[in-house]
Amino acid sequence: MLGTYYYHQIVRKTIIAFGTLFNDINIRHQDKNGNDISNLKVPLAYGPVQKFLARLEQQPELNKAIQITLPRMSFEMTSIAYDPTRKSGLTQTFKACDDGGKAKKVFMPVPYNIGFQLNILSKLNDDSLQILEQILPYFQPHFNLTIDLVDSIGEKRDIPIILDAVSFQDDYEGSFDTRRALIHTLNFTAKTYLFGPIADSSDGLIRKVQVDMYADTNTRTAKREMRYTVEPVAKVDKNNDGVIDAADTPLLVPGDNFGFDEEWEFLGDSKSYSPTRQTDV
Amino acid sequence: MTLNPFFLQGTQSEQRLVQDLINEHLRFHGVEVTYIPRKFVNKKTIIEEVQSSAYDDNFSIEAYVNTFDGYGGAGDILTKFGVSVRDELILTLSKERFEDFIAPFMAGQDDGTDTSPLPTPTRPREGDLVYFPLGQRLFEVKFVEHEDPFYQLGKNYVYQLKCELFEYEDEIIDTTIPEIDTQVQDEGYITTLNLIGVGRTATAAAIIQGSVTSGYISEIFINNDGYGYTSTPTIGISSSPTGLIGDRATAVGVLTTRGGVTSLDKILITNAGAGYTVAPTITITGGGGVGAAATASIVTSGQGVIRFSVTDGGVGYGTAPVVTVTAPPSSSISKQAVGVASMRSGSVAFIHVLDPGRGYSSAPTVTIADPETLVGVGTYFFNEIIYGSRSRTEARVKEWDEDTGILKVANVSIGSTQLGFFPGEMIIGKDSGAQYPNQGYEDFDEYDKYSENDEFEAEADKILDFSESNPFGTF
Repeated sequence: MLGTYYYHQIVRKTIIAFGTLFNDINIRHQDKNGNDISNLKVPLAYGPVQKFLARLEQQPELNKAIQITLPRMSFEMTSIAYDPTRKSGLTQTFKACDDGGKAKKVFMPVPYNIGFQLNILSKLNDDSLQILEQILPYFQPHFNLTIDLVDSIGEKRDIPIILDAVSFQDDYEGSFDTRRALIHTLNFTAKTYLFGPIADSSDGLIRKVQVDMYADTNTRTAKREMRYTVEPVAKVDKNNDGVIDAADTPLLVPGDNFGFDEEWEFLGDSKSYSPTRQTDV
Repeated sequence: MTLNPFFLQGTQSEQRLVQDLINEHLRFHGVEVTYIPRKFVNKKTIIEEVQSSAYDDNFSIEAYVNTFDGYGGAGDILTKFGVSVRDELILTLSKERFEDFIAPFMAGQDDGTDTSPLPTPTRPREGDLVYFPLGQRLFEVKFVEHEDPFYQLGKNYVYQLKCELFEYEDEIIDTTIPEIDTQVQDEGYITTLNLIGVGRTATAAAIIQGSVTSGYISEIFINNDGYGYTSTPTIGISSSPTGLIGDRATAVGVLTTRGGVTSLDKILITNAGAGYTVAPTITITGGGGVGAAATASIVTSGQGVIRFSVTDGGVGYGTAPVVTVTAPPSSSISKQAVGVASMRSGSVAFIHVLDPGRGYSSAPTVTIADPETLVGVGTYFFNEIIYGSRSRTEARVKEWDEDTGILKVANVSIGSTQLGFFPGEMIIGKDSGAQYPNQGYEDFDEYDKYSENDEFEAEADKILDFSESNPFGTF
């Protein structure tokens, strides 16, 4: 049943979007007179890495004169959980166009919460506080990111990044044999959506939109007042007969240049439109 | 008296002998390490931290490596913050040797700005560094044990220094011993100044006619500067009656912000056009603002400079150079043309027509002023302080490559603005006296093997829609 290959890289994109929020945080140090004597951008990386790659890249020479450079930030994905509160209809679909203007039929995405943990390792409490104060005010408690989750259909979604908790570890007590470790941990939830396979739409161009309007919300008793109809009209000579006329309209495909023919009809009757019989009854 | 008076619990001469034996053994079996005391640059009160430190002194001393069969600690480990080397070392120093040859020179040491009293200078201090030459590593003293061995003959003779590898941030390590100082040459937050070895003067030519010899715009008047612009609006000028694209005048707008309102400051002519018989219509569209309007006046007889063509943008400009156009032959209508240069990355990108002038019979000569400095001089020293001649931003040299003009620096101060080094300003070495013009400053550490800040930015640009702006800042 399963097995249609597709890979929208949505989780990867969510990781990138989350990471880019924190890739331009700076800290400064001053001398005793208050003059800035150092300004540095806090390095950020995604925590989980291949071990051999980390060793080769970060310690190419076997001898390393120092333990580590600080401060540093890292983050990692900690959970992926279905979010039933954002559930939408299983069979609900929507239409979208791909890059070539071809209509696509897309099932509603599945809401998933992705948990992230951002860790800040610093040598000084003051460094951590500088970093924290540049992050926390933006989350009340969420910050919206607009991410192009499925680039083939240009599906941009607002993904709230919610700051769930802030905690910190400051091991300043105890034996002098152990060094003080200052780690601030921020837990976030990204409310993203996972899309299934995207199929070519068999429906193609919408040929007609018809709306009946009533003067009352109770459509059983109220009379229909007006009918609004919109149909596409060709603006190109699709059948190559030298003229642009009604014969070209049925040949329109998504991506063609076309206009719209709007029609208002006053009804004032007690009938209603049957989609199955495609007539008023 | 509770002790037996007929037995000595250690005489001074015995204690002296033991101390001498220990000193001698340390000199036989020890390793010559370098003790590097910490100087406080800024100690923060309340949260009690030394925010900035300098290590610019060195003292050689023999030390016995207690952990003789290897480092202690957890070794090389992979943490969520990347590779961390958790090596530890326990060193034994002679108490007498330290107190005689190091402690007296440590008293009252600070860098001159921090007046916080330094704790106990008569002993090795926690927070100081020890350079271990065998492993070429910098260890930080975590704890000084002074009672192990415990009162032999009534006295203690050694200090045990419990050390862990140094956690480096932006501390100044300038001991004057290259072997030590270069250990952190590639560490920390390193940014890049692209300097220009040899500057070059830009050149340009003036064009005085299109398909016809006159009918060009002499001036564009801004009748209303509008408001609310977020980007530069498009300046549209109606076509020339000749119908030729090259004869159609073009111009660009320049915005200004005053009192939080962004409006049109001026309109610079890029091509004054040709063949106009009546003043063309100016339209100002886009840019998010409203209300701006402009009109133009034209010259229908006589020739002026309708546009400039930059033949060589030059190298090493910090500010837009003065453009001089030779005057036309003297007559009743003659008027000298004026051009204004605009810059991109230290070079002249365009020359706009500020005034086309009038009365030219042949293309005038265009002269562009020289860059501030045509030739950089000198060699920057490792670890010296450099500064920008105009920004007053200071930094410390990590590496200088004269061939590529790349100067790697760390500990960049903010200077006079938030922008760091200015393009075109001279970067001057305080000790070396080296001077080179700055072509551009990259305030991002591209050498850090851990940092992925730039990669995130590049990937996010493809998928994120910051319609307004990223409040956290962008590169």
